[in-house]
Formats: sequence, structure tokens, C-alpha cells
Amino acid sequence: MNQAAPPLRQPGKPQPAPARSTRRPAQAFTTSPSQLWRWLAAQAASHRPEAQGSEAAADLGALPRRQRFPAGGPPLLPCLLLALALLAGCQGPAGRPLLELERQLDLAGASRDPALGDGLLALISGRGGREQVVLIDLRRAQPLPVPGLNRPDAQPLAVAVDQRGERLAVVRQRQGRTELVLYRRSMASLELIAMQPAGVPRRVALDPRGRSLAVEVSRDGLWQVDLINLP
Amino acid sequence: MRPRLRPGSLGLGLMLLIALAGCALPPGSRRSAGADGLLDRNREDPALSDGGRLLASLLSRGGQTRVVLQEQPSGRELPIGPLARWSPHLSPSLSHNGRYLAVIAQQGAQPLALIWDRASGAVHRFPLPAGEEAQRLSLSPDARHLAIAILRDGRPSLRLFDLSGLLEADLPAGLSLRGGGPQAAP
Repeated sequence: MNQAAPPLRQPGKPQPAPARSTRRPAQAFTTSPSQLWRWLAAQAASHRPEAQGSEAAADLGALPRRQRFPAGGPPLLPCLLLALALLAGCQGPAGRPLLELERQLDLAGASRDPALGDGLLALISGRGGREQVVLIDLRRAQPLPVPGLNRPDAQPLAVAVDQRGERLAVVRQRQGRTELVLYRRSMASLELIAMQPAGVPRRVALDPRGRSLAVEVSRDGLWQVDLINLP
Repeated sequence: MRPRLRPGSLGLGLMLLIALAGCALPPGSRRSAGADGLLDRNREDPALSDGGRLLASLLSRGGQTRVVLQEQPSGRELPIGPLARWSPHLSPSLSHNGRYLAVIAQQGAQPLALIWDRASGAVHRFPLPAGEEAQRLSLSPDARHLAIAILRDGRPSLRLFDLSGLLEADLPAGLSLRGGGPQAAP
């Protein structure tokens, strides 16, 4: 099975946010917008480039349809696919897609770098070149406040979260430096975690209890992983 | 009556305390995750299970980037089972107790997310539709949710899945399950 497949993308490179290519009417989501959508849209609007006017509103739903579950087609096809899946050793049904939440996130802007806690999702979301760390309660599909985490002069590059959403570790770029910070949500505090020996952090992982950090660091021309025990 | 200590008991007690303290790294301590033979290689994309007992990261060997699973703090490498059939790997993720290890892999030209159940040996596959390029993956610690960051038409987006009907939850150690069926005592 080890085939010479085209390489996956380089980890860690910030992704561009090109203009959308297809459009979909926005009214499907404006009739009963949820609290999450309104909050994320408000956040995105504050970062949206100027002079878009009504076109910006029409642009909200500009996403291609999902291709995962085709709605039409001959009735034999689903049976054939199911049989093939069973023969291929797939373990029963796939997970249930959370389509509504996906749509809400898409409407709010480009989303990347997800990190899951238990019932929580941290991600980097943004529009118009401005990105921020967002924490979402998956059960309620509502954002959780992270006061003091996002700064206008800082660009988040990677995020990790513990199981309860109490601690978030963020690699960010600020004033030309790449730094790792640990955020404690109950105290709304930020702590700079210095790399020792010196190095440039790129990715970070928190253990589910929030007591250990694993940091991917560029040091001496190599990518290394540092393990840091937290108090 | 005041108990009397034997001359050797104090030294023995101290040795025991030191041994117990060595089982867990003190807060603020740091170390490299590399074990012998891995220190001089590129290691990327770390993921941790509860308490940092298991570390998954990516390592390039023989031109292939694959996930490496290690016990910590010993650094002992654990087998990756059927995941070795797919490569390259990207963005590993672990559940609470390390029962599940998820990665992005490729099958031919098709990217897919894989979740390996280390308890049963089963591999759950999440093929992505054509035109979607997998970037990052995260499995929730309890294995109830999966998030896949994709690029579609050059635009970053997320795919989110509820796995509660697919996988048995991997709950943190010491957390008991509630309920015992319809006849359970209140």
C-alpha cells in the first residue's frame, strides 16, 4: 500500500485565503441565524475588507455543495458502495457529519488548525487576512469567551486545547517574533513559554489534562519535539 | 513510647522518596522527546495522551514520513500496527488513554483520515471527496468527535464528525460510567 503518492502539504505553513469561486444564495442561513453564526459573523465583519456592500452579504453563502453524500444517482449505487465498503473492511457506518456547524464556520470565514477537547473545538478562524483563536462548545454550538487571548498585533499560527477548554496553548507571531503562550481561561491570563534552548516553535500539543506540552521547535536546523511539564 | 529508627531506615526512606519523585517530571521541567537514534532526525507534529504517557509524532525514515508512537518518559517505541500500510502520515492525534491513534494518510492520490483502535485492531477510514485536500486532523480525547481541516478550491475549511455512534468512548482513567441499564438502582 506504500505508493509514491503526491506529497501532502508542508505542515505548519499558513494557508492563503483566496477569493471564493462559487456562490450559493445566503437567504438559507439568514432566516434563522443561530447565536454562533451571529457571533462569528460579527467577528468576521469586523475584519472584513471595506467597500463590499451588498455583495459581501451575498458572498456569505458562497460555498460549493458538499460532494460527500450525493443526493441523486441510480438506486443501485448506494448498495454497491455499501458492499464495497464492507468488503474493504470499513467498520460499519462513518461518523455523523456536523453539517450545520460546518456551514456556520464557513460563513464566518476560513477555518483551520482544529484542536478538539471533550465537547470543545478550538480553531483559527479569520477573514480578510485577520485571524483569531475561537473556542466553541460543540454540544451547544456556541462560542466560549476567551478574553485577552486574541490581540490585534498577534497572528495565531497553531493552537491546542485541553479536554475542558481551561488551557489553550497558542503559537503566534507578534512583533516579528514567533512565540508560544499558555492561556488559562478561568483567569484570562497569558503566560509566555520560552524555548530553552532557544528555538522557534511551530506546532504545539497539550495533553488532555493540560499538564504537559509537546512543542515542535526549529533548532539547529532540525525540527525537534520538546516536552514541557506544566505546573 | 518514642519509636526508634534503625540506622538504615532513613537512607531507605530517602531512596524510596527519590524513586517516587522520579516517576513524574516536576512542574516546569523540560526534555527532548527523542530517544536514542531519534535525536538527530526531524520530528514534527506531536500529539499527547493523558499525562503525556504516550507521544505520537512524525518522523522521516527511508524517504517516508510516518507516525512514531512512543511511551514516555522511557521513549520506548510502540508498533503502529496497520497504519504502516498507508503513508505518508500527517497530523497524528491521540485519545485520552491512547486507545485511538488518528492520522491523515493517502491511499493512492486520495487523502483519507484513519483512526486505529489499538484495543481491537480495527481501522476506521474517512475518505475525503475528490477536490478536498486534508491539512490537519484532531481527534477529541474522548474519541467522540473528529475534525479535519481541508483545502477546497484553495479555501481552508473544516469537516466535523460526531463519532459517538461509531467508536466506543475513551474516557479518562478513573472516570466511571454512569447508569447501569433500566434496572439500575438510583
